[in-house]
Order: sequence, then C-alpha cells, then structure tokens
Amino acid sequence: MRKALLAGALFAACPLAAQAQAENYKVDPIHSFPNFTVDHFGVSSIYGRFDKMSGSFSIDRAAKKGSVELTIETASVTTGDNDKGSRPRSRDEHLRQADFFNVAEFPRMTYKSTNVKFSGDNPSEVEGQLTLLGVTKPVNIKIDRWVCREHPMSKRAMCGGNASGSFKRSDFGMKYGVPNLGDEIRLMINFEGYKE
Amino acid sequence: MQELVTSPVIQSSAAPFVVGLVVACILFPIRLAGLAAGAGFLAAVWMIGAFGLTPLTATRKIVVLAAAAPVVGVLADMAFKPTRATAPVLGALFAAASVWVFWSVLSQKPAAEAALLGGGVFAFVLATIAFTVSLRDRAVRAGSAGLFLGLGVGVGAVLGASALLGQYGLALGAACGAFLLLAMILGKRVVAGTTFTLTASASAALIAAGALILAKLPWTSLAVFALIPLAVRLPVPEKLPAWLQAIVASLYALAPAAGACALAWQSSRTA
Repeated sequence: MRKALLAGALFAACPLAAQAQAENYKVDPIHSFPNFTVDHFGVSSIYGRFDKMSGSFSIDRAAKKGSVELTIETASVTTGDNDKGSRPRSRDEHLRQADFFNVAEFPRMTYKSTNVKFSGDNPSEVEGQLTLLGVTKPVNIKIDRWVCREHPMSKRAMCGGNASGSFKRSDFGMKYGVPNLGDEIRLMINFEGYKE
Repeated sequence: MQELVTSPVIQSSAAPFVVGLVVACILFPIRLAGLAAGAGFLAAVWMIGAFGLTPLTATRKIVVLAAAAPVVGVLADMAFKPTRATAPVLGALFAAASVWVFWSVLSQKPAAEAALLGGGVFAFVLATIAFTVSLRDRAVRAGSAGLFLGLGVGVGAVLGASALLGQYGLALGAACGAFLLLAMILGKRVVAGTTFTLTASASAALIAAGALILAKLPWTSLAVFALIPLAVRLPVPEKLPAWLQAIVASLYALAPAAGACALAWQSSRTA
C-alpha cells in the first residue's frame, strides 16, 4: 500500500505529468503588437507601437501556471511620423537613436515572466522582468481579455487577448526629454498565439 | 532654480562655461588651467544626470574616457617630459579604447562592416588626438581647436539625431571656450599642456564617433572635424596680442567645423 502511495506521489510530481497539462503557444507576429502611449508636454498623448514582436506563451490551467517570453525588435518602433519632410529627422528616426531606444546598441528588448496569476481558469496578471537598454526591472502586465478558441478559418487552436501595464522609462535609463515628454509609458498589448 | 538646472541650454552652455572658467582661474598659476575642459564637461554630464556605470553603455564609456583623459593628461604633463612621440602614443591609446567603447555595437555587425567601422573610428580618434595634443605648448591655438571641436561636434550630433551627444559636445565647447577666454586675457601665462589638449580632443573625437555609430552623423563630417586641429596651425602673426591671435585661430577652426556641420545638415536632408 505504501509502495503504491509512493509511486502515485512520484507520478504526480513528475515534470512529464505537469507538461502534459501545459499548452504551448507561439505568438502570431501579424496579430500581436506592443502598443504604447506617452504624455507629450502635458497636452496630449502620443501613441506608438513596435511592428515586430515574437515569442511564446504557455498555460497550464490545471496547475494554474503559465509563462511568457517575448522579444521586441526596437528598430520597429513607429509613432506615425516616419516621413521627415523638410525637418532634419523624423520622430521615429529620433526614437531609434541613442536618446531613446538606441537600436544600434540594443536592437532588442525582452520580457520574461516570473509568475502568472489566475482568476478562475484564465490568467489575469503576469509578473515578469522587462529588459530594455540593458536594464532589467520588474514590470507587471494585467490581462484584460483572454480568449481561447478555434480559428474560424484554419481551425487551429489559438489563444489571445489584450493586456496592459505601465513603467517609467527613466528606470531603464531613457531620460531624454523627461518631464516634458512623459516618463510613464503605458502599454497596451494585443496578442494572439497558435497552439504548438 | 530647478528650471535653470534642468534647462538643456544652461546644462550645455552656461554651466560648463562658468565651471571651466572658475577652474581655469584657480589653477592657472600651477599650470593646470587645462583642467577647465574636463571640469566643465563633467559638470554638464552631472547636471544632465547621465553619470552612472550600469549598464556600461557606449555613451557611458565615452564619459568614463572623458573623465580619464584629464588624469592621463596631468600625469603626462607632471610625471613625464612630453616628447614628439607623446601625441601619437596618446592618440593610439585612446583610439584603442574607442574599440572598447563601441564594442557592444561593433560586435553585432558582420565582421567586414565592423572592421571598417571600427578601423575608421580608430583612425579618426588617433588623428584628432595626435594633431591636437601636439598643440600643447600653444594655448591660444589649442583653446581655439577645443572650442570648435566641441561646438562643431555638438551641432553635428544634434543634426545627426542625438540630442544627448549634442549636449555633451556643446558643453565641451563651452568649457574649452572658458579656457580660451583666460588664454586671450593672460596670453602665455596660461598653459594648455597635455591636460587640456588630450581632454578636449579625446572627448570631442569620442562624442563624434558616438554620433556616427549611435546616431546618423555622416563619415564625411568626422573627416572634416579631424581637420580642426590642423586648421589652427595656419599662420597667425606672433606679434598680435593674444586676444587677436585667438580670434584669428578661431576663425581658422570655424571653417572646418562649419563645413562638417554643413555636411551633417546636407546628410539629414537627403538620408
């Protein structure tokens, strides 16, 4: 009887058993974008996004566990001002230089989860580490919408939703223009992923 | 008061000029007026809030070397008797350090492109420092070169889309301007030495290289900036008073500085 209990406990603790519950998803880059907004002179908000994001996420509903790993190409930043016209540089061009994202030295920023909180069966918040400009700091992301379903056309299993969060760019050494150009960056991420 | 301290104009002009002038006035009797360049520049970096070592980015490495330059310069002036080899040796030393400064960018590029970029920056830093340090016994000409290296690189960096490097360059120019002002007033009593010439040239060359690699300053501008320490060697009548010599030498330096900025402007219009 004791042997049977021990074997059962070992089986339950076996990583393979846990992995069997986990579902892995690869981020769909054409339907997943990190969008952001930043205050401009206290007058309005400038909206922008990164066009290139890749990564994956996993979810284990039974164990209430999950993970996220994202990589964002910093050179893909756009705020809708990429045509300099008669000016020396456009805003997007300036954003790629050393004053902001310094893409020559830091071509990528990454986000890696450390913990995923659940509300019922669905993930509700991701605790993780954002690495930007060589600085790694904790940034939490709230999952505002989470839906899993079959893609209506391809019939592949997919999950996705919307997430939001914020951080201070000066915490990552991006101090140019603070406080006239806002320090707080609000994130709005739309994401979709296909089951692997 | 807080608005003054945080104003980019104050940070990169008035503050480094005043700090440089005070340092030059206090230290010229002991032949260390050349510390004005480093003091004014580092005061500006402090006001901009850019001091820090982690992460050690290329921009921070530029500040580290700009802080090391006056120390090396004082050592060269005080501990060793400068020879003809001093200028190229120091140029080669800081040119080698420039590879370390920009390694984080160079290491991400294909080998051929990295070698071309790193080699070009090495040559530029070496030439700028060697030509400027050899002016160490001519304070007025060295001051004029430092002034327009700083101002030119600052304006060029702004045109190359880096406001921070632009502020650094302008601050360096302002600090060198403070040294030049004292040299205009006191003439040969003010000594530039390796302390001033190395600080001004190494800082300006690294900021310009940063604007090339981290922003969009064109190669052609760097090549023309390297002519500034050569331009101030053009003939200036020694009989003229120091202030007039400074004006003539500054006009000589202005020409390549303005030319380099014009190239940066042209590049920003077409790129």
